[in-house]
Amino acid sequence: MSVEIGGIGSSVKRKEDARFIRGKGKYVDDVKLPGMLYLDIARSPYAHARIKSIDTSKALKIPGVAAVITGKDLVPLNLHWMPTLMSDKQMVLPTDTVLYQAQEVAAVVATERYIAADGVAAIEVEYEPLPVVVDPKKALEPGAPVLREDREQKNNHIWHWEVGDKAGTDKAFRDAEVVVKQDLYIPRIHVASIETCGIVASWDKVEGKLTVWMTTQAPHAIRTVIALVAGHLGLAEHKIRVISPDIGGGFGGKVPVYPGYVLAIGASVLTGAPVKWIEDRSENIQADSFARDYHISAELAAKKDGTMQALRVKTIADHGAFDAAANPSKYPAGLFHIITGSYPFQKSFVEVDGAYTNKPPGGIAYRCSFRVTEAAFTIERLVDVLALELKKDPAALRMQNFIKPEAFPYKSALGWEYDSGDYGRALKLAMDTIDYAGLRKEQATKRAKGELMGIGISSFTEIVGAGPSKQFDILGIKMFDSAEIRVHPTGKAMVRLGVKSQGQGHETTFAQIVAEELGLPVGDIAVEEGDTDTAPYGLGTYASRSTPVAGGATAIAARKIREKARLIAAHLLEANPDDVEWKDYKFQVKGVPAKTKTMQEVAFAAYTNHPQGMEAGLEAVDYYDPPNLTYPFGSYICVVDIDRGTGEVKIRRFVAVDDCGTIINPMIVEGQIHGGLTMGLAPALYEQITYDEQGNIQGGNFMDYLLPTAMETPNWETAKTTTPSPHHPIGAKGVGESATVGAPAAIANAVVDALAHLGVRHIDIPITPWKVQQILKANGAAE
Amino acid sequence: MAVETAPAKTTTGQKLHRIHVVVNGAAHDVDVEPRTLLVHFLRENLGMTGTHIGCDTTSCGACTVLLNGRAVKSCTLFAVQVDQASIATVEGLEKDGKLHPIQEGFHQEHGLQCGFCTPGMMMTAVGFLATNPAPTELQIREAISGNLCRCTGYVNIVKSIDYAARKLREPAEGKAPDVR
Amino acid sequence: MRFEGTLDIAAPRDRVWAFLTDPKQVTTCAPDVQSLDLTDPTHFKVVVKAGVGPIKGTFNMSVEFIDLRAPEHAEVLARGQAPGSAVEMRNTMDLVAAGERTTLRWASDVTVNGMIAQVGARLMQGAADKITQQVFSCIQVKLESPASAGISANPA
Repeated sequence: MSVEIGGIGSSVKRKEDARFIRGKGKYVDDVKLPGMLYLDIARSPYAHARIKSIDTSKALKIPGVAAVITGKDLVPLNLHWMPTLMSDKQMVLPTDTVLYQAQEVAAVVATERYIAADGVAAIEVEYEPLPVVVDPKKALEPGAPVLREDREQKNNHIWHWEVGDKAGTDKAFRDAEVVVKQDLYIPRIHVASIETCGIVASWDKVEGKLTVWMTTQAPHAIRTVIALVAGHLGLAEHKIRVISPDIGGGFGGKVPVYPGYVLAIGASVLTGAPVKWIEDRSENIQADSFARDYHISAELAAKKDGTMQALRVKTIADHGAFDAAANPSKYPAGLFHIITGSYPFQKSFVEVDGAYTNKPPGGIAYRCSFRVTEAAFTIERLVDVLALELKKDPAALRMQNFIKPEAFPYKSALGWEYDSGDYGRALKLAMDTIDYAGLRKEQATKRAKGELMGIGISSFTEIVGAGPSKQFDILGIKMFDSAEIRVHPTGKAMVRLGVKSQGQGHETTFAQIVAEELGLPVGDIAVEEGDTDTAPYGLGTYASRSTPVAGGATAIAARKIREKARLIAAHLLEANPDDVEWKDYKFQVKGVPAKTKTMQEVAFAAYTNHPQGMEAGLEAVDYYDPPNLTYPFGSYICVVDIDRGTGEVKIRRFVAVDDCGTIINPMIVEGQIHGGLTMGLAPALYEQITYDEQGNIQGGNFMDYLLPTAMETPNWETAKTTTPSPHHPIGAKGVGESATVGAPAAIANAVVDALAHLGVRHIDIPITPWKVQQILKANGAAE
Repeated sequence: MAVETAPAKTTTGQKLHRIHVVVNGAAHDVDVEPRTLLVHFLRENLGMTGTHIGCDTTSCGACTVLLNGRAVKSCTLFAVQVDQASIATVEGLEKDGKLHPIQEGFHQEHGLQCGFCTPGMMMTAVGFLATNPAPTELQIREAISGNLCRCTGYVNIVKSIDYAARKLREPAEGKAPDVR
Repeated sequence: MRFEGTLDIAAPRDRVWAFLTDPKQVTTCAPDVQSLDLTDPTHFKVVVKAGVGPIKGTFNMSVEFIDLRAPEHAEVLARGQAPGSAVEMRNTMDLVAAGERTTLRWASDVTVNGMIAQVGARLMQGAADKITQQVFSCIQVKLESPASAGISANPA
């Protein structure tokens, strides 16, 4: 029956496909309004410079240019700076100094896209270059140029954060039989969703209403931010409508507020016309929020028999010019303290220091619930370093140490309470699927012949579903989420959500939750999200939170409806409500299978024949504050072959066993894992953004920033175990990001494993052919 | 059928050029600036927003259309270059209310998530399958290696194209007519 | 980035000096000059078209002679911008006379910022070598040709 109605567990084909395969999706750049103007942005070629003058006269003379906006124009409006989510502030447009290359310097508004670009080219800015700091370690040294002159604190240190038992951890290290240490740099990368960011802002002067179509993962939060930041200009929250239409991929990059959005809104208010801003790809990679950029030094203490005891981690976080992290937690390093991973460390201590540099501000998650990938990569790499040190098999070492299934709910040394898990089962399934023992034999044979083959494991634990209100908020707004369900008289339902899909398939999966709870066919349930005028307030989609939080809200709202429906069914069945039960997706008088009412019959009655004394209608709202986060996990095994001539790493096989609790739609979950794995492969082997000493971006466009194509991406093999979350209404944990979190370590471990006999213990990602070739040459192993 | 569009305004003193172009079977005679890119011509002048823009370096393929049957990146051609040519875009795939096999394949095999790369990916596939009706998996992967997708990991896109290839190879006769 | 080299010119040092420190003359050897605007004897503005690989731009350069010790040493600072790109060049020239010939030792410290640096970084060395070669072979040809013998040592 569940399959017939398209309930939980069925691979329902996606409803949203119908418009996308016809080219009828409606993305922000597809919005065209009468009289609309186009905004384009002049950006700084310098990473650090004082602005001596900005001459806009030539731009203003171009026919079709309606306005040019500079920082000075924003000062009277108090819009030249805006707050970030991390108690820092960020320039919208500079008045004195630019702090990173590609920083916004001025905006041109014109009647056509091309004319706006002409205007940008005609703006003349005189700069005085200043000393550039791109290395966060140098930025923190005494005497380094102070980048943020606006701060009272005259250095580049943003914050220090620590968690755990320092004294206890230090003692454990002093007493340890074995200590391994590894420095890791997790480079700056960019989500590079195929749709860039953009906005259409339309200010209706008569109504005093602002409508914006915007590439945002969190439309409601954006509405509140606009009201808070621009309230003094007369923008009130009930007259701000944020519409997040179809979004061409988010991955965290569409959580922050970028200056371009603010400029377009300001330009619409200024000109009285709708204003569109769509950034191009180079702007997107060069100026929008980055991810990672963590310089990590990690140590693990263990017994000689391999028992892991303590973990100590010191990290420098490069935040660029402003701490504009899209971080939903109270912790400046996000959920980095999930770093104890799948292992029961007795003691752990983690400290992180944030630094300002002359780079674009950030960061964002890159498909994880903020700093979880950094954590998973570090611990899973470190476990392999320990395995090498102890000459133990990395699978056996993991099996020996895993938190045992009976230990859940498990309280970690750094304060998290893991909801459920069975790590050994997932790793065993992965090993059986890929024939781990057989691969080790093959590797030994090949190694004897001089061929390079490696096997890498990653047994990660994720932490998603931000989050419980005691720990998680955005600018004080707690991170609940919401669902509103209306069942219409003919038994068709409308579901509105506070989250917003960017490709995850919400129109299908959330309809499936309602189908399961209410017994309505999935095709009779419409899901709507992203319009703040109609949807209930929610915090949006990122950090794999839609299913854990809005999914919970949807199930509970549906159950509220079902409870009312039961009373109506009892009325229709002329039975005592206590004698009416929900069975096989229908109401039935207990023990009388012939006496049933369907939800459709009940819905009709709710509007035509409801019991006296009961409110008419059949609808419910739920704002769900999750009692805990969810902890998806998995074990990945990667097999690589390395070309001794070119240093190229070829992924031969990759088996991903994921456990995300209850699965709503297996087809969509598998698709999410495929995509997540590819975004794990990307930083492991290809993607990175670096800067030269002048702060010039290397990797600022799609010619230099290498997204994996179909040629690099292997045929992912997936399998699953199912360990439901005990606290979630349907037992689901969320899956959008697991694979991105888990995959990089499996790939890096495989490459190191292939080269371990040459004495290699670690290679920083991305592991490019050049890096591998250098190692092969240094060890006389190159062909 | 010929659709006459009013001459595009230019405020920049750029000389306008009249081009004649057939898009999805419909003829258009339009005045364009010489610098107007084909993708902007399709999206802005003709209002056909199914063709997307994902980069500025001819790398991502989101803007792929067919030019006289061959897949091209419409961000890297000027509109004036397609004068007298025939263009096919995603909007023209569905015929008489019946989905093209490539559209069916993407839906059946879950070959799309956010949908942004999908039109370009499908047009590349259509152009490719016309030259290679029975491709291997590797050939499909090579064919779409100029199209970037950030959501799907390509596995299901490859399956979707293979689905379409198989469907397109089915003999026309001896098959029950498609029921809508 | 630093570029340097030595050039042997079959012309007397005074003539070489005069040529190299005269904006009007020396810019005839710069690539694709669009305009030249003399501010004073030691400052001038020049607009040049230049590019690296696929990235081309029109650069508005401000040039300043910051150290002139005739006829043996000159230091020139040139700063300029094209939309999205900026360049700064600090050039030194030392002239050593050897009878009727002159040895020119030159060095150029070049800092580029913006689009040209991002996209063209890997092509920069090659592009710079090519431009440098063109510039110096032009200088050599002009100074060694008989027509240049009449060049005044005092161009103003």
